Amino acid sequence: MDVVDLARTQFAVTGGLHFLFVLLTLGLAPLVALMHTRWARSGRPRDEAMVRFWGQIYVINYALGIVTGLVMEFQFGLAWSGLSHYAGDVFGAPLAMETLVAFFLESTFLGLWIFGWGRLPRWLHLACIWLVTLTAYASAFFIMMANSFLQNPAGAVARGDRLELVDFGAMLTNKALVFSLPHVVAAGLFTGGMVLVGASAYRLRRGAGEHQDFFARSMRLGVVTAAIGAFFTLGFGYAQFAGVQEGKFENTGAALGLAVMMEIGQLLVLFVLFVMLPMIRSLPRRRWAHPLLIALTPLPFVLAIAGWIAREVGRQPWMVWGRLTVADALSPGLSAGMVAASLGAFAGVLGLLAVVDYALIARVVRRGPGGNDLGAGVPGENRAPALTF
Amino acid sequence: MDVVWFVFFAVLLAGYFALEGFDLGVGLLLPLLGRTREGRDRMVAAMAPYVLANEVWLVAVAGTLFGAYPALEGKVLYGLYPVVVAMLLSWVLRDAGLWFRRRAGGTRWRGFWDAMIAFGSLGLSFGWGMALYAAATGFAAPAVHPLGLMLGMVVTLLFAWHGWTFLAWRAPGEFGAARQGRALVVSGAVAALPAAGVLAGAMPYLMEHSAPAATLNVLSLMVLPFAPIMLGAQVWVWRTFRPGKDAFRLPSFF
Repeated sequence: MDVVDLARTQFAVTGGLHFLFVLLTLGLAPLVALMHTRWARSGRPRDEAMVRFWGQIYVINYALGIVTGLVMEFQFGLAWSGLSHYAGDVFGAPLAMETLVAFFLESTFLGLWIFGWGRLPRWLHLACIWLVTLTAYASAFFIMMANSFLQNPAGAVARGDRLELVDFGAMLTNKALVFSLPHVVAAGLFTGGMVLVGASAYRLRRGAGEHQDFFARSMRLGVVTAAIGAFFTLGFGYAQFAGVQEGKFENTGAALGLAVMMEIGQLLVLFVLFVMLPMIRSLPRRRWAHPLLIALTPLPFVLAIAGWIAREVGRQPWMVWGRLTVADALSPGLSAGMVAASLGAFAGVLGLLAVVDYALIARVVRRGPGGNDLGAGVPGENRAPALTF
Repeated sequence: MDVVWFVFFAVLLAGYFALEGFDLGVGLLLPLLGRTREGRDRMVAAMAPYVLANEVWLVAVAGTLFGAYPALEGKVLYGLYPVVVAMLLSWVLRDAGLWFRRRAGGTRWRGFWDAMIAFGSLGLSFGWGMALYAAATGFAAPAVHPLGLMLGMVVTLLFAWHGWTFLAWRAPGEFGAARQGRALVVSGAVAALPAAGVLAGAMPYLMEHSAPAATLNVLSLMVLPFAPIMLGAQVWVWRTFRPGKDAFRLPSFF
């Protein structure tokens, strides 16, 4: 492997890991916010149990989203300084907005939500999780805007040896953005819904005892969410072909990613819409179906990675389509040894942490509601949240 | 506009040192002051509500570097390649330690992740000293330079002292001393000095390499209206988690 291949592999490994975790974050955040809304209105312990159980899974997943994201953000400067040199005046703007406007607030509000449990007034605590959801979606918007610029550099012109921003409106209405953003957002909901279904099926397949009702309700919420997500993922997936670059899927990697996503994706969407959705009422009781539902849980993740490969490998050999090649975007002077060392370290550490993270999520599912750390009260403390200030 | 963005950048970097400095300091002190598992639980619980709001200042620094100084972003990070990689790994391990330490039972599990918190905090603090020295020399000095190592030591000690002051403010008497809020402000300002010094020296150079006016205008229009909200959210954190008998709660999520 030469230095370009190594640097691409490094970006692919960290980016792929990051995508797996943020995809589920995007799917679970609105669901946890909805559960919290129901709890804030009713005050019922069974509604609180929902928030704490699925919230715990959401935040454990979130941890890996953060640490992989940190590596992603700094990698542009480490290995791809040619990109910031050539297109930084344009490409840097959405990235700066993602970190400043979106992630800065998301992280601050998430801390308030986690540690403000039983401390913040009820409605302000609820506001925190909705703000986390809102800023998470703002992040997705800015990142997709940056990515779409690489696919189709709209709104910029070349002056000398650099790109200059001339039309920010054209960046916002980029044809590579308008359908890919809802496609990804819907895929997140699809994934979040299928995780609810799969985890609930795991608990229900041998009878969940006192938690039967808890997981039956979770499974139904998951089916509805997955159905909505699946429908829009498919619709906006096809809509993207109208704006795709010519010759994009001609290389083997991109063609394979596209084929996997479309063939398996269509089958899964059909299954969700025409089998799971009509059976929604009885599905929690049909134990024979539960092993299948568990087996389906990883599929949306596989499909998302396949779609991401189609989009990003299809961009090769361009970093910025038609303007800057990947090889030219590499930091000048970067050596294969440097990248090999950092690739080994990042892949090793992040890969291990990802495995640990999924094991911890599985542990939460196995243990079930009750005994979650999230929102755990101090022994002997009256935890009724204040109604007003 | 380039002045506005320099101020924004400087406030973010100095703010990171003043705020995340005490989280790293508490991490550094974990093996020293937290001899027992219970003691370490208390130390982590004391800083836990602030960590997410503090570490994100560096994420914002990197974003501003890319948005407002795209010509320098690659130069700075690439110029420090091995140091940045080591600092990122330290940061990742510190965060993983915080998120994972209470996610499973067992003394050894928690002890391992507590060690990762301490180790990560050390790597990040020390790395900052080395990175600041390299930046001050315009990346002319080798990544590992005796003066850089010395500055690494200084930053590490500053953060440790700042973390100790934070604990004495947040939970007076719990870990030995008791300090007023004023003392924490002073230790924060002192912790930010190394960053502020380098920023002051680099000011003309940074201004010269600002993004063109069109880019800065778009950034200003999109970002500056949110600056009061960013500030407000930070103030909210500090108003919600105050010292006193409610200084920290056990069990805490971290």
